[in-house]
Amino acid sequence: MAEVTTTTPTRQGSDGAAPLELNKHKGSPARPVRVIVGAVGMAVTAWFVCNAFLAFAYYPGMFANSGILIGILGLVVGIGGSVLFFYFLNLCIEGFPTRFAEGLIPYAFLLPGFSLIALFLLYPTVQTIVYSFANDNSTAWVGLDNYTAIFSTGHFWSTLLNNLLWILIVPVLSVAFGLAVAVLADKLSPAGENAAKSMIFLPMAISFVGAATIWGLVYAYNSPGETQTGLLNAIVTTLGGDPQPWYQIDAARLNSLALMVILIWLQTGFAMVLISSAIKGVPEDTIEAGRMDGATEVRIFWQIVFPQVRATLLAVLITVLILVLKVFDLIYVTTNGLYNSDVIANLFFRKLFTDQQAGQASAIVVVLLILVIPILIYQVKSFRDQEANR
Amino acid sequence: MTRRHSRRTIMAGAAATAALGMTGCLQNPDQSGGSGGGGGEKYTPGDTPGPGSVSILGAFGGQEQEAFLASLEAFEADSGITIQYTPDSDFTNTIQQRAGAGDAPDIALFPQPGGMFDLAGKGMLTPIDVFLDYDQLNSTLIPGFLDSARLQGRVYGAPMRMACKSLIWYPKKAYEEGGYATEPATMQELYEITDQMKADGIAPWSDGWGSDQATGWVGTDWIEEFMLRVHGPVVYDDWTKHRLPFNAPEVVEVFDIVGELLKGEGNVLGGTNAIINTPFSEAPLPLFGEPPQAMLVRQGNFVTGFFPEDVVANMDEEVGVYAMPTWEGGFDGQPILGGGDLATLFTLNDDTVKVMEFLTSDAFGAEWAEAGGWLSPHRTFDPEQYSDSITRQVAEIAAGAAVFRYDGSDLMPTAVGAGSFWKGMVEWLQGAKTSQEVCDEIEAGWPK
Repeated sequence: MAEVTTTTPTRQGSDGAAPLELNKHKGSPARPVRVIVGAVGMAVTAWFVCNAFLAFAYYPGMFANSGILIGILGLVVGIGGSVLFFYFLNLCIEGFPTRFAEGLIPYAFLLPGFSLIALFLLYPTVQTIVYSFANDNSTAWVGLDNYTAIFSTGHFWSTLLNNLLWILIVPVLSVAFGLAVAVLADKLSPAGENAAKSMIFLPMAISFVGAATIWGLVYAYNSPGETQTGLLNAIVTTLGGDPQPWYQIDAARLNSLALMVILIWLQTGFAMVLISSAIKGVPEDTIEAGRMDGATEVRIFWQIVFPQVRATLLAVLITVLILVLKVFDLIYVTTNGLYNSDVIANLFFRKLFTDQQAGQASAIVVVLLILVIPILIYQVKSFRDQEANR
Repeated sequence: MTRRHSRRTIMAGAAATAALGMTGCLQNPDQSGGSGGGGGEKYTPGDTPGPGSVSILGAFGGQEQEAFLASLEAFEADSGITIQYTPDSDFTNTIQQRAGAGDAPDIALFPQPGGMFDLAGKGMLTPIDVFLDYDQLNSTLIPGFLDSARLQGRVYGAPMRMACKSLIWYPKKAYEEGGYATEPATMQELYEITDQMKADGIAPWSDGWGSDQATGWVGTDWIEEFMLRVHGPVVYDDWTKHRLPFNAPEVVEVFDIVGELLKGEGNVLGGTNAIINTPFSEAPLPLFGEPPQAMLVRQGNFVTGFFPEDVVANMDEEVGVYAMPTWEGGFDGQPILGGGDLATLFTLNDDTVKVMEFLTSDAFGAEWAEAGGWLSPHRTFDPEQYSDSITRQVAEIAAGAAVFRYDGSDLMPTAVGAGSFWKGMVEWLQGAKTSQEVCDEIEAGWPK
């Protein structure tokens, strides 16, 4: 604080000596005391809040081991701390010359959000890329060894192929079914439409593991001659065939396809809801105009409705696609990657937690990251184009 | 544009500064997990008062969890300590994840020592000699048990449950009606019995490997049983400790021997597809069908917990059991393959020590013994507390073994014992890979 008091008078003196500059900017001049008090205030608040929360975690004894007391204190310190932090932040920025402050304020208020993203997203991303060049417990550099190791195994390539199939099949089919249901439901009576859409939407509420269990009843296998508990095998045996262990058949990646069906079943509802609302948003007069000109329903759909919902279709497609890239739980609880049905996320999980090879696991994630980037860029770009067309 | 960039740089710089600023904050005093690590000194009660509750993470749920909690009730009432047990069927991964994130439970019950060694090596566990009377414990346990939990001279876990794996179960009435011998001295004699069964038109064996993401562990038990019988305990120890490579001719030979049994025409009910697709808990069911569809199941003592209710109600008359016999031309003595849940301590305080003392004593488990499916690792456990004579019989088999060896896949590193070995067994049984290929692959994946 001593430093503050010594610097203040001189600055104020210099401000007073330059009235011309002040007029030119048409705003208040720099007020260093505010800047410094604000900055110090922010640092102290942040330090105090962080330490308070660490103290809750490490020394519950200081708070009489009372969960309720810690909870209340947490609320007070958390909310009060944020308010105080923004107060000091505001104080600090107001201390700058007005023009500069006005430019800075939006960024300053983005700071907390941006730091959280940096802490939880950017930092781990960079760290993962760094670790992909390190050994199993991230203590020494190994150069490109991890990448050579993963690319030289047939299993990794088979996993990539599976992921590619998942990417190609699941989003397209989910959107196609979603579109079909949305269009057909649109032709029903309101009650019928609601009932149909609710039924299709229902699986959305089921977790992946739950869905895998439900579909376990479809794909279950019992020895030939026994009663088949699996729906699919019950049908096959009724038609006179032999029961098949579906999850084990990797010919034509049948097992992966069987698993994809589960995800499509889960995601069709999501696609349908969004597409349906887009179809409802298509202006009635455009369709009327088409009818007046004598266009068939099919032609109206493809030439009038479809172009107007195209943007939504694309958004849904990309959302499902990103979900597919992350698909893990379904495979983990059904085959755990056996029988050539592995996907990148599951392979990563096994490398990191079962094989304890952090280096190779990081390398796998980096490959996944590189695969996702073009899709992200495309999504951002198409979003921008849409905005530009408006 | 340049101005915008420079501002972005400023923002990033500010974020970095904030992150740096946080390094000035408090450090976790429990970072290493109590006084864990090699240099722990003897703990005296009163050093760290307990918070009154102890969290335990284990692998077993369902009926086993109920019985476990029942065995703790009286202790909780007496000591005033609340125990929170969390079951996790994916314990192997969860414990690594939680310990790595600094969110370890107070006590973890490891079904496999492999994962325990990983964490002990990182100094996260407290050696049991710090807070338990080692000699006293060792004198009541079945010999050799604590040795399996030893890392660099110190023991990190004490067993609270024993599994005896080398057991062959049969449906007593049907088996006796068929006139099959109940005491085969060697596996070869047992094969003669199974040939007899096949001639009578019944599949001798029933087996199930299904266990969600852990599918394949039952297969590793088959290999271990035969390693122990064909090559004896010395080679077995070399194999589990990786002094003998996984693709050594001895191991491949054992894979082929097991393959003859499991893949042999008509040996196992439903063939290899049924083995992979049947959950291990359902493997004994065909034995108790009307009429029985199979005669034998090789599985640990815990399998009685999965028998049908009417069989459990009348266990002594419905079920028979004998030890899996020796291999003619192999090791002479009766080997027993076993396992056990090892209780390990992360957080050292009065309450956790009291819980550990109770869990690892022979006083623990009376209620669980009554519920069935549980064996005490202590020779001094009163056998009268077991609910049926079958369990008493199993306890006798275990106590009287010439060699007792811990489940091999549990001793191997997690990457093998809970990873490539499980996976390899499934691929091998399915016929996707030969014995040699599977062994080569597991050897190649062994952590360096």
